[in-house]
Parts: sequence; structure tokens; C-alpha cells
Amino acid sequence: MISDLCMHVADLVQNSLRAGAASIEVGLERDGGTLHLRVTDDGAGLTADGRRRACDPFYTSKPGQRVGLGLPLLCQTAEHVGGTFALEQLGEGGTRVSAELPWNHPDRPPLGDPTETLLPLIVTSSGVEFVVRLRHDHALWELDTREIRAELGDVPLTHGEVLSFLENQFREGLELTGFKEEA
Amino acid sequence: MKLEELRQIRERVQDELRLRGGSARVRIVVGMGTSGIAAGARQVLRAILDEVSRRELGDVVVGQTGEKGLASREPVVEVYEGHRVTVYGGVDTDLARRIVSEHVVNGRPVEEHVLEVREVDG
Repeated sequence: MISDLCMHVADLVQNSLRAGAASIEVGLERDGGTLHLRVTDDGAGLTADGRRRACDPFYTSKPGQRVGLGLPLLCQTAEHVGGTFALEQLGEGGTRVSAELPWNHPDRPPLGDPTETLLPLIVTSSGVEFVVRLRHDHALWELDTREIRAELGDVPLTHGEVLSFLENQFREGLELTGFKEEA
Repeated sequence: MKLEELRQIRERVQDELRLRGGSARVRIVVGMGTSGIAAGARQVLRAILDEVSRRELGDVVVGQTGEKGLASREPVVEVYEGHRVTVYGGVDTDLARRIVSEHVVNGRPVEEHVLEVREVDG
């Protein structure tokens, strides 16, 4: 079900939304041979127990559910390709989940398409602000929904013209950073 | 980021929104958990947004929700009207358009694809 890295990121973003975050930062950044995935939020965070058991598939904070597979799958993916996984509680409240993966490892999952996975979440989460950062060494692309909303006034991000604009922006970002991969 | 383009969209669209006015009568919620996304939730969302804007439905808002434990029936779409929620499963772009035109506009739910109807507070 989680077949590429953008799906992992979308899953992390859903965790942040469930934690009541009002502000979420997503980073897909590549320094040479290392890819960093990062999702930072200002949500309620996890309990100490939750943090300790983040990689345990038989732990979940969701009521009525016995397993939570999102974080354990990312842990497993990172471990499998010799990367790292970290979950931090931020001093000012909120959580940061990050993973580092070797870009050239043959088993690194494909990057996927943030236009398919992240953008729909961003436009339909009213009241939540997002910063998305794509970077490959010095080539940096950023999208900040605060800036966009400031220009749009009352026009919602779900308006067809706005959505098309954002899809184009994402495509430009993917080209600029060379994150466009063959499917 | 070409913010100038957004300003132009705002100028074009704002009058159209002002003309419609009114508050939301219907809320359409698309399931955007990872299984929903994998099953094509973006295309479904796109189809709903297209249909809503093409029909100039100013009293419809569109949102998202996470996993609902209905992974095998994704993409899931919920239609909120007052206290009533109608849940659709296995939604593709055609059904998404029918939900807007038959259910939201004409008030006739697409019965054969309804998973459940329930009452909610608020």
C-alpha cells in the first residue's frame, strides 16, 4: 500500500493532521548521495511510550485499531537500505519524523509523485498551513501555503484554477531538483 | 513561485465567488489515507472539484479525512448534509461526478454504491 517515499510522507502528514497540527513542514532533500525525508509539525505529539514504540507494528494510538503500520514501515524501509530513522519531540511542542536513505541503494523505494500524494492533502486540509521544501544540493524549491493564501484572499486552495497552478508549481519543483523519476 | 499568477486568479475568481455567496449546504469529504491515495483519491478529488466548479456550486465545500478502516472500499467519499452522512465506497472518477450531479445537485443518492447512511451531531 505504501509503495513509494511520497506515500510514506503522506502517511506522516496524516499522523500530523490527526495530532491536530496547524502547521506542517515537509522536506525531501538530497545532499549528494543521501536523501533526507522530514515531516515536522506543531501537533500534540506522541507520549513517551508512543515514541519508544514508534517502530513497533503492534503499537498504535488510534482507538479501535490494534496495529499502526505507518511508522514501522518507514523504520523498516530505512533499516533495510542502511539508512536511519528518527522521531523527536520538539521543545516547543510538536514532532519531527525524519529518515535518511542512501539515494543510490538499489532497494531504495522510488520517490513517487508529490503531486499525487501530498498536494491533495494540502488543498483539502483547510486551517492547516504547509511548507514543502524540495532540495537537491543547492537547487531549492519551496512552497508555503501562507504566502499562497495571502495572495488568494477568500479563494480556496481547492478552486480548480488554483489547483492547476499548484500542480504546475510542483512539477517545476520536481524538475528543478531532478526529483522527477521514471515510474 | 509566481505569486503574480495567483493574484490574477484571485481577481478572476473572486467576483464569481461573491456572486454565489451563501454558506455551505453540503460538505464532500474524500478519504485521503494512504490506501485512499493509492486507490486514486487524487483523481476522485479532481473530478469532484471539476464538477463542483463547472456547475458553480457555491454552497459545497470539499475536504479530506484520513483512514477510516474501510481500506478495501477505498477511495471512500462521504457526503454531509446537515445531520446525515452518506458514505460511498469504491469511488472512481465517473462515480465521483455522478455523486455531485445526482446526489448533491438532484438529491438522489447513487444507491448502488452507498456503503452506509448515518446520522451525526452538528
